[in-house]
Amino acid sequence: MLIALITGLATGALYASAALVYNVMFSTSKVLSVTTGHISMLGGVFGAWFMSTLGWPAPIALLGSIAVGAVFGLLTDFIAIRRVLARSDEHLWLLSTLALATMVQQGAGLWWGTEPKPFPRLIPQDFTAGLGDQKYWLPIVVAILLAVALELFYRRTLYGKLFVAMSEDAFAARARGIPTDRIRAMSYVIAGAMGGLAGFAAGQLTFAYFALGLTLTLNGFIALAVGGLGSNVGALVGGAALGILSSVATYYVGGEYHQTISVGLLMLVLLLKPAGLFGSQTVRPV
Amino acid sequence: MKMLLAVRNARLFAFALAVCATTAFAESPIRIGWLSSLTGALSSAAIAENQGVQFAVDEINAAGGINGRQLELITRDTGGEPTKAVNFAKQLAFVDKVDIIIGPVNSGESLATVPIVAKAGIPNLIIGSIDELTDAQKYPLAFRAINTNTQWIEGANEYALKVLKKRKVAIIGDTSGYGTASAKSAQALLEKAGVKPVYSVLVDPNKTDLTDELTKAKAAGADVLMPWSAATGLLARLLNTRGDMGWDVTIVGHPALMAPPVKPLLNKREYWRDAFAAGYLSTTYDAKGKLPPRTQALMEKIRPKLGKGGEIDFMFWWVALGYDTVKIVEHAVRTAGSTDPAAIRKALEGTREFPGVYATYSWSPQNRNGFPDHNIVVNVAGSFKDGSYAAAPTK
Repeated sequence: MLIALITGLATGALYASAALVYNVMFSTSKVLSVTTGHISMLGGVFGAWFMSTLGWPAPIALLGSIAVGAVFGLLTDFIAIRRVLARSDEHLWLLSTLALATMVQQGAGLWWGTEPKPFPRLIPQDFTAGLGDQKYWLPIVVAILLAVALELFYRRTLYGKLFVAMSEDAFAARARGIPTDRIRAMSYVIAGAMGGLAGFAAGQLTFAYFALGLTLTLNGFIALAVGGLGSNVGALVGGAALGILSSVATYYVGGEYHQTISVGLLMLVLLLKPAGLFGSQTVRPV
Repeated sequence: MKMLLAVRNARLFAFALAVCATTAFAESPIRIGWLSSLTGALSSAAIAENQGVQFAVDEINAAGGINGRQLELITRDTGGEPTKAVNFAKQLAFVDKVDIIIGPVNSGESLATVPIVAKAGIPNLIIGSIDELTDAQKYPLAFRAINTNTQWIEGANEYALKVLKKRKVAIIGDTSGYGTASAKSAQALLEKAGVKPVYSVLVDPNKTDLTDELTKAKAAGADVLMPWSAATGLLARLLNTRGDMGWDVTIVGHPALMAPPVKPLLNKREYWRDAFAAGYLSTTYDAKGKLPPRTQALMEKIRPKLGKGGEIDFMFWWVALGYDTVKIVEHAVRTAGSTDPAAIRKALEGTREFPGVYATYSWSPQNRNGFPDHNIVVNVAGSFKDGSYAAAPTK
């Protein structure tokens, strides 16, 4: 049972990281990009490629994965967000980000192959470490670090405050001279770097697998909705709750109900607390 | 006189037209539709099969075609998606008007396309293993070249129960349609053989850890694990978990257990020990380390075409199966003397012991599954060498 909790927590931490990535992108653009999970997929795939094929040491490969994530984040803004937001208030970004996510997944499948590939050991450790294995605690540590770093960024830095200002009212922020396009692009770069780091940290848990993106996009969204859109604490709690609940449910009732339970949790929270556990209700002036 | 000349000219003209028409008919290509998931999550096997299909088409065309007619291969990449497979099956049947369809390569896609191809009245060579894909009454023009899922499961069950003398079986399936159906069949076949599994579970194919499942199987007293999943990631995790737990239980199961992509996913190379999988006689080395002559011959012919020059680093049976499907088309059209669906049906129904590379095929008016039981063998999972495997020990 303990192993079910730990594996659930590790998987949930990855979902939480995806939820944090959603949060950063959403704060400046009000977009829930379908490419969110694909950023982490790229982090894992490129991390494995850097280390296994190019022979880079782990720290350099880590920086490489973060850079790949950051570049993909920026491309997401340029290709799928910027022009769509400039031309329409409708939710066309759903289609544009879905299209980009599909292209990236297909491209990764063609280049990397469609079978999962190994992700190298990052820290020397025997495989019989059990619950202390790095594949479990690396994603957990990274998710917590990301949440703490984001909070510090929002509270302690000027750019963080600009993010918050845009999140509150993008039009007002622009009226006060904030370069909203540049800030949004920056938020996508940061989100991409976070996703790349999360994918790299979870590589041993997930393997380097081209089809991981959509699973993370979906479960990251559930974690976000459960925790509350915009809340970093909510993302952590939502991810952990989703991971542990899925794992424990699988333990007791079998894997065939895994997806049903994930989506069931989402529906339950949305019915009881539509803004999520830590989300705040927005008041619309009429 | 003029009248006679006019009649003679008209006859000559008609004769010339008939000759032209006959020549044109004789030279019109035989159009083969090939539904293959060359991209997407299920592409590894399809890409290898495609090598065999393409090679056989080129070989037959280089030798002058079939009855003077060249083969025209019309390939459609389904991406592993049933909806795409359905659209392409319709396109091949009603737009391209092919003479025969090979594929799709996956059971899920085949379940969607087989009724459509049957309704279009086009012969269909099935290479999906789910048992429900063939039915002499419902789909009279559908003939299966690959083994059935039941044949794989029975082969593995027989090895576990009769050779290894195991009785406490734990079945591990995945939650995909294929994994669920296979695990259910495995359970039913074991119970038919008088063995009630001590533990049975379905696992998400992307589940990151199997410690819970294996701990439960161990607690239930299992002395053999029988995984029925085609997901190499899941199977590697199963082997890793067994190894990390230090549990010396035997594993016997799906052919994907011995697929080359599993090897790099293993925490330690020795985690592949004491694992066996259902495989094929055609790609199993004998006691002297030799492959069956037909396999060896194809391997040597096709090796330069594989573009690597060295050892074959994927399961060669997929190439052999792809090659055989086109050779079956050749056999059927030659025997039938045309591409008429009814004649092809009759030709295949009358086929006995057709010597392919992948297997020796026999169909009948009642039997649409051409792959014989005795062509299934059990292999040692970690014994992959040059596309083939060592036979599992029988003592």
